[in-house]
Amino acid sequence: MSGFRSMHPSVAVVYYAGLLLFTLLLFHPVFLLTEIAALLGLMLLQGQGRRIAGSLAFCLIVAVPAALLNPLFSHRGAVILFYFMDQPITLEAVLYGLMMMVVLISVFVIFLSYNYTVTPDKFMYLFASTAPKSALITLMTLRFVPLFQRRLRRIALIQGARGVSVREGSLRSRMSDGMTLLKTLLTWSLEEALQTADSMKARGYGIRRRTSYAVYRLDRRDIRVLAGLGAGALGTLWGWFQGYGMLMLYPRLKPPVFTWQEAAMYAAFCLFAALPLWVEGKEKWLWRSSARKSLPSAIQGKKGLHWTGYRSQ
Amino acid sequence: MAKIRFPVLIALGLFIGALALSSALKDRHYLLLSLVLLCAALLPLFLRLERRKLEPRELVLLAVLAALAAVSRIPFAALPSVKPVSAIVILSAYVFGAEAGFLIGAVAALVSNLYFGQGPWTPWQMFAWGMVGLTAGWLRNTRWMRTRPGLLLFGFIWGFLFGWIMNIWHLIGLPDAFSWGLIATVYAASFYFDLAHALSNVVFLSILAGGWIKVLERFRKKYGLLR
Repeated sequence: MSGFRSMHPSVAVVYYAGLLLFTLLLFHPVFLLTEIAALLGLMLLQGQGRRIAGSLAFCLIVAVPAALLNPLFSHRGAVILFYFMDQPITLEAVLYGLMMMVVLISVFVIFLSYNYTVTPDKFMYLFASTAPKSALITLMTLRFVPLFQRRLRRIALIQGARGVSVREGSLRSRMSDGMTLLKTLLTWSLEEALQTADSMKARGYGIRRRTSYAVYRLDRRDIRVLAGLGAGALGTLWGWFQGYGMLMLYPRLKPPVFTWQEAAMYAAFCLFAALPLWVEGKEKWLWRSSARKSLPSAIQGKKGLHWTGYRSQ
Repeated sequence: MAKIRFPVLIALGLFIGALALSSALKDRHYLLLSLVLLCAALLPLFLRLERRKLEPRELVLLAVLAALAAVSRIPFAALPSVKPVSAIVILSAYVFGAEAGFLIGAVAALVSNLYFGQGPWTPWQMFAWGMVGLTAGWLRNTRWMRTRPGLLLFGFIWGFLFGWIMNIWHLIGLPDAFSWGLIATVYAASFYFDLAHALSNVVFLSILAGGWIKVLERFRKKYGLLR
């Protein structure tokens, strides 16, 4: 792992929790689009383009209705665009619906990136001491899902040799065959899982507080990035308390004026949202320039090699 | 660190709660407040789980059932609202009780959304499926649930209730459009999806009930789980 993924788990959690909070608090297209752009940039740098494309459709299915429903039912606002079935469609309501859609898409993208960055072992490291049982159940469930899918495929293969298959026959026989497969999966998995549990118990699970071996160390780079995130978050929150970062749509759309206070808040927000992108990009850039023969000094002459991170070397 | 962890967490929770409240009052922006309230609703049962003394066998059993519910959602991904999750949660709660049912439902929602996409709807699904399990566990000893038609009817009703809970989530995002007209439209638009969910619950329950209840009861008796 390299770049943002190689950093301490607490950095990632502060980043994603902060982004989620700001997404739900701030109601301003510039802020939300900046956030989406920063996250997509981060994922593209991490080589996750295909994942984004794969889950886009589902995201839109959920998000688009919000944009459509709002103008049909909210008629507040001063600028009437046109009449639809004798109902005025106002510019403000259309914009509000679009904003809601952007909020939903940003939450979706936050979790997409979160799932890639915060791997289960990091999750366990963070939550095992606060909520050990909930974290363990969640993690075991996570681990069982691909296992059970594989098992179900094996069961289907073997039962297929006996003629028990969900692909052929009448609907009734297919259903009862499907039930046979699921019941086999249930008994098999339960037997196996209880054995796992017994071996956990034999090794002393639950006797004392759970201890864990952690490979994570909060180094200077992590602290520096955490400080940056903290400064950005404080700046953004300050701006929010002053009433900036909110797009006033009702009762009428106010033309957005960018005062210097709002610009300062936006700068703080950019610092917060784009810091991981910077970490990732810098590492990529260092790696590429170190691979180039003509610039051997690009990396060797640099003091403070820790920026590349000892884990990624 | 371990000593100050809980005070820090509580302070953080209060801070976010205050932010959510002021966001709702000042800007009429209810997303954060709704999520904070939902998390507050989910918290007590997870806290109870942490407090309870559980055997490793029982922990693993909960994970297995939650994973089965999550896996069962994947082959039906193409058909909206047709998911055996509710049926599996109801049957597990029927055998192992309300608390187990809640946990299985909530964890199954959380984990299966890793495959379907997380979003602001995840806590709502956790809540809805958790409630499916909780109510099934509460009512399991009534004469109504002991009969097969009663169990099927229970699944049918929850198919609609589940959709109605999820509709609240859609409505909260549009505070300005909030009117009886919008409510009627949203609930009418979801009717066929809810009906599909309710009917699929009945089908899955009628297929699974006999075999699964027998298997689960047997495991419960043999290993003395979650008594």
